[in-house]
Amino acid sequence: MRIAYYPGCVAQESGKELDMATRWVCRALGIELVEFPNFSCCGSGFVDEANEVLNIAINARNLAIAEKAGLDILTICSTCQGMLTLAKVRMQDPKVKARVDGALKPLGIEYKGTVQVKHLLRVLTQDIGLPAVKAKVRRPLQGMKVGAFYGCHLLRPADEMGSESAEEPHSFEDLLTAVGATPVDYRGRVMCCGFPIQFVKPSTASAIAGRQILDAKAHGADAMATPCPLCHLSLDAYQNKAAKEVHAPLDMPVFHLPQVVGLAFGASPEELGLSRHLVPTDAALAKVRSPASA
Amino acid sequence: MLRHEVVVVGAGLAGQRAALAAVEAGRDVAIVTKLHPLRSHSGAAQGGINAAVGAEDSVDTHIYDTVKGSDYLGDQDAIEFFCREAGPTVVEMEHFGTIFSRSEDGSLARRAFGGAGFPRTIYAADRTGLALLQGLWERLGTERFTVYEEWDLTRVVVRDGRVQGIVALDRKRGDFQEVAAKSVIIATGPAGRIYGRTTNAHSCTGDGVAVAYHAGAFLKDMEFVQFHPTALLESGILITEGARGEGGILKNATGERFMARYAPHVLDLASRDVVSRAIVTEVLEGRGFTGPYGGYVHLELMHLGKEKVESRLQEICDYCRLFAGIDPVTDPIPVYPAQHYMMGGVGTNIRGETNVPGLYSAGEAACVSIHGANRLGGNSLLETLVFGKEAGKAAAAYSERAPATVLHETDLDSATASFRSWLSRSDGEDPSALRTELQQTMDRYVGIYRTEADLMEGLRRVRAVKERFSRVRVVDQSKVFNLNLTDAIETEHLIDLAEVIVVGAYARTESRGAHSRSDYPKRDDAHWMKHTLAQRTPTGPNLSYSPVGFTRWEPKERVY
Amino acid sequence: MPTDTISAPFDIYRYRPGKDAAPRYQRFTLELTPHTPVLTALLKIRAEIDPSLGLRYSCRSAICGSCAMQINSKSRLACETHIGPEVERHGRIVVEPMRNQPVLRDLVVDQSPFWREYDKIEPHLKLDPRHPMPEGKATSMSPAQVDRFKETPRCIACAACYSACPAVEADPAFPGPMALAKLYRFVVDPRDTATQDRLVRIQPNGLWLCLRCHLCTEACPKDVRPSERIRDLKEMAIAAQGGTELGSRHAIGFKENLKGGGLLNEMKLVRATSGLAGMAGQVGQGIRVWRKKPEIMKRPRTIEGMDEVEKIYAALDPPPKEEP
Repeated sequence: MRIAYYPGCVAQESGKELDMATRWVCRALGIELVEFPNFSCCGSGFVDEANEVLNIAINARNLAIAEKAGLDILTICSTCQGMLTLAKVRMQDPKVKARVDGALKPLGIEYKGTVQVKHLLRVLTQDIGLPAVKAKVRRPLQGMKVGAFYGCHLLRPADEMGSESAEEPHSFEDLLTAVGATPVDYRGRVMCCGFPIQFVKPSTASAIAGRQILDAKAHGADAMATPCPLCHLSLDAYQNKAAKEVHAPLDMPVFHLPQVVGLAFGASPEELGLSRHLVPTDAALAKVRSPASA
Repeated sequence: MLRHEVVVVGAGLAGQRAALAAVEAGRDVAIVTKLHPLRSHSGAAQGGINAAVGAEDSVDTHIYDTVKGSDYLGDQDAIEFFCREAGPTVVEMEHFGTIFSRSEDGSLARRAFGGAGFPRTIYAADRTGLALLQGLWERLGTERFTVYEEWDLTRVVVRDGRVQGIVALDRKRGDFQEVAAKSVIIATGPAGRIYGRTTNAHSCTGDGVAVAYHAGAFLKDMEFVQFHPTALLESGILITEGARGEGGILKNATGERFMARYAPHVLDLASRDVVSRAIVTEVLEGRGFTGPYGGYVHLELMHLGKEKVESRLQEICDYCRLFAGIDPVTDPIPVYPAQHYMMGGVGTNIRGETNVPGLYSAGEAACVSIHGANRLGGNSLLETLVFGKEAGKAAAAYSERAPATVLHETDLDSATASFRSWLSRSDGEDPSALRTELQQTMDRYVGIYRTEADLMEGLRRVRAVKERFSRVRVVDQSKVFNLNLTDAIETEHLIDLAEVIVVGAYARTESRGAHSRSDYPKRDDAHWMKHTLAQRTPTGPNLSYSPVGFTRWEPKERVY
Repeated sequence: MPTDTISAPFDIYRYRPGKDAAPRYQRFTLELTPHTPVLTALLKIRAEIDPSLGLRYSCRSAICGSCAMQINSKSRLACETHIGPEVERHGRIVVEPMRNQPVLRDLVVDQSPFWREYDKIEPHLKLDPRHPMPEGKATSMSPAQVDRFKETPRCIACAACYSACPAVEADPAFPGPMALAKLYRFVVDPRDTATQDRLVRIQPNGLWLCLRCHLCTEACPKDVRPSERIRDLKEMAIAAQGGTELGSRHAIGFKENLKGGGLLNEMKLVRATSGLAGMAGQVGQGIRVWRKKPEIMKRPRTIEGMDEVEKIYAALDPPPKEEP
C-alpha cells in the first residue's frame, strides 16, 4: 500500500515520538509512506475560526498535492483528519469551490474531489484489516487495560467526518483487542480533551482534560491511548495541570495509537520514543503479562 | 398575597399577545402557564397564517371564504373585523422579528390552503407556529411582566358578580397559590386530549375553558370539533395541510385520487371537514388500506420531487421518518383523521369579553365565533393574535376602572378542598384509567360521524366516568412536581368539557360543518342557524341558543 | 408498521432532592414494539405502573422541546428516540435527567441556568429609531438573507446541546451552544441594527470558550448545528473587532503564523497570543515540556511551494466579499 503521508505539524516537532512510532508500524505492515515537503499545516481548527475560506483553500491545496500524485492521504492526527475532511466536504458545495478555485486556479492548482483522507486508525482497521494486524502481533498486550480517547475531530460532526458512529465508535477498541490489550469503556472516550482553549483559559481546558482522565481511571484503565497528538499534549504534557484542576493525582500514562500497535508488534520503548512522554509509561508496560521480545 | 391587574392564563400566541397588549396599556400583568411559553402548543402549528394582502386577493374574498368555511355559523361581523386585521397583524409579527419564508422578490411567501379561494397563507417552512411563537416571545421579552411558570390553573374566583383572581397549583413547589387579579384572560388553548386520537399535545386538556365554565362563563358551540384529515397513523401527529397546498395528493387503496368525487373543483384542498369525512367514508366503504393500527389512506408527495419536499416541508420529512418510519420523498404517508381543533370554547364577543365581568378569553380556548362550524387552515394562528390583542386591550381597560379585588384565605381553602381529599384517600379511582376510558368513549361515540344512539351511549359513559371521578385518588404524596395530582386536575377538566360536547352534539339535530349527524345529514338553517350556549349547573350543562351575526352573506349550500 | 414486541428493560433515575438520601435507578421492563418512542414507554410507566415518575413532556412530536433527557448517556428528545436500537446496542435503556442543570425531581431539571444564558444575549430585534421598519408592510428579505440564518430558526430550546456541552460543564462563564446559536440568528438578521455591538460584546463574554468539539451539533435534534454557527460568530467577531481576546488573538496569530513557513511555529504563536508578559507566566510549564520535547523551541522548516501559500493568503485573506 502506498499512501501520501501527512504527519501534521506537531508530529514533525514536539510530537516526534508519534512520527517515529508511525513509521515503525507502517514499515512492519508494508505501508509505503510517500512524503511531500510541500504539505502545509492544516490550520488546526484555529485558522478555520479566523477565516473559513482561507482554511478550506489551504487544505484544498494539500488535498490537490496528493491528488496530483494519485494517492490518498494518511493522517496520524484527529485534528488534521478533521480539517482535511472538512475542506473536502465544504468543497462539494459549488459556491465554495468557486471561491476557492478563484485563488487556486491561477496557481495551476485544482482539487477535483477524488482524494480519500484516512486516519491511521481507519487504515489499520479497514484497509489493512484487523486479522492482518493481529497476525503481526509478537507480544500481545494482555493485562494492560487501555482507555481509548478518540479526539473530537476524528468523530464529529458525524455526517461530515463520515467515519463511524460518533456516539458509539468502536474501531479503536477493536484495534486494542486485536493487539491483546483490554479496552476500557468510559464516557470520556468520545469527549473533548480541552486543548483548543488551552490558550484561552488554561484552567478550564485542564479541568476538562482532568475529568476525562479521572473517568478512564475510575473505570480501571492502566493507560490511555489517543490518535491525536494535540489530545496527547493535553492529556500527557499538561497532565500536571489537569491533576491540579481536579485536585487528584492522575498518574495516567498516555500512548499514541501507533505506539500501542508498535509495542504489540515487538518494538522497543526506545524505538517508539516513550521516554519523551511527560508521564512515564513504565507502570502500564509492567502490566503486560507476555515478556518483551528479545 | 400575589396581586396583579391582569392575569393571563396560557402563554401560547394568544396569551402572549394579550399580555403584550395589556403591558402596552400600562397594566401590571402576569402570565400563568403550565409550560414554559416556548413549549406552548402554538409551536406545533405547521402550515401558516392567513392574510389577504396580494394584489389579486382581497379581504372580501378572505371574509367570504371564512364565512363559507364556517358553514354559515360564523358571525359575519366578527369575521369582517378579523379578516381586516389580518394584514396588519402579519406585518406586526414580521416587525417583531418573525422569520418567514420569502419569495424571490423578498416579499412574504404564500401557499394555498384548504377552502381558500387564493393562496393567502403566509408561512415559515412548515413550522409557522414555532416561528411566530419565537418572534412574539422575543418581542414580549423586552417588556416588564411576571411569569408563573409550570402552574396548573384550578379556579377563577368570582365574587360580587366579577372576577377576583385565580387559584393555581405551583408544580415546582407543590403549593396551591391564589393570585388576586382584576381581570383574567383565558388563553389556554384546546382540549384535544378529550380524544384518544388527536393531533394535540398532552398538555392540551382545556384547563382554562373548564375553569371558566365552573366560574359561570357560557361555553359556545362546543359540539363543533374539527378533525384534521391527515394525521399520521398510530401517533396522530399532524401532517400539515400545507403538504396538500404544495401539491400533495390523497389516494385510496385502489390508487384513486378519491377527492375528485367529494370536491370536484378543489379536490384535495377542500375544507378539512369535507376531506375528513371523505377519508372516513373511503375506509368505511372498504376502499382504504387496512392494518394493525386501523384503516387509513395515503398522502403522496413523491411526485413533487426531493428538492421541493425537503426544502418546503422539512418538518414533515422529519415527522414521517421519525414517527412513521417512512421517507415521504419515496413513500406514501399513511394518514387518517384525528381530532385537531375546537371551534367551540369560552363564549366571547369581538373584544374577548365573556358573560362574566372581568373574565376574557382568546385563541382556541375562546369562541367568538370566527370559525362557526368549521375552521379554515391558517385562520387559527391569525385568531390567536387578533383576539389575543383585543382581549388584552379590553382586559387592560377594564382593570384600569375596576374596583380593588376581594380575595380571602378561605377562597384558597375552599378551592383546594377537593384536592386534599384526593390525596388523603386510601382507596379510589386512578385518574389515568379514567382519562383513558373517557378518551376511548369520545373516539368511539363522538367522532366524525355521529348518531343519536351513539351520542346517548357516549353521554352515558361520560357521566359514568364523571361519577367515578368523584372517588379519584392521587397516590403520589410528594409535593415537588406531583404529576399524579396534575393528571387528576386535568382529567377533571376533560370530563367536564366532554360532557358539554356530547350534550351539545346530541341536541343539534342537523349536520353543519364539522358536526356530522348520520341521522340528520342535512344542514337545517330553519331550526339550527344559531350558536349553542352551555352553562354549568350542578347536574350538568344547561343549553340555550344565541343568534348568528349576519352582514352581507346569505347562507348557501356549501360545495367545494 | 411492525407489531412484534421485544422485551425492553428500563433503568430510570429516581431522585427527590431533599427527600431522598441519594439518587437510585429503578428497573421497569416493558414489552414494546421496537419503533416505540422512549417517551411513550415512560408515559406507559406513569399510567400503568408508577404515576410518581417525574418528567416533562407535551407535544410528543419533537417541536416543543420538553422531553429532552439523557437516554443511554446521550442527551436527546425522548419522543423521537426509539427503543429498538437502544436495546440492540446496550441491552437496556438507561434514562437520566439532562446534565448541567440541577435536578428538581427524577427526570425534571431546573432550566434557569439555560434560560439565563439565552436572556443574556438579548434575544430580540434591536431597532434603530433613525431607521424604522417600513410602515404597514413587511420588511423585504431576499432568499439569500433568509439562507444566512441557516438552521438556527429550527431551534426548539430543548437544551440537549447545553446538556451535552463539556465547556458548560466545566465553566460557568461559557454561555452554551443554544445562546450562541441564538446570538448568531440575531447577528445575521438584516432587521437587527446592533450587529457590531453584539459581536463586540460576546468576545469577552464566553465566545472563545467554545471547544469546537461538536458535541452540541451531534446532540441537537433539529439540525441547528450550533458549533458551526459559533465558528461563524468567531470569524465575524474577528472581522468586526480584531483580536481583543486571547481566543481571537490565538486564531489570528495562528493564521499569521503559517505565513512564516507553512508549518506551525509554536514559540512564535505563544508570543502572538499571550504577549511577552503572558509568555513569562508560562515559562515554568514551557521548560518542563522542553526538557522532554526540545523541538517546541525550534523554528520549523519552510515548506516547499511556500509561494503558493503566500498567494492563497493574498487572494483570500481577508476573504473577498461573497456575491449576494
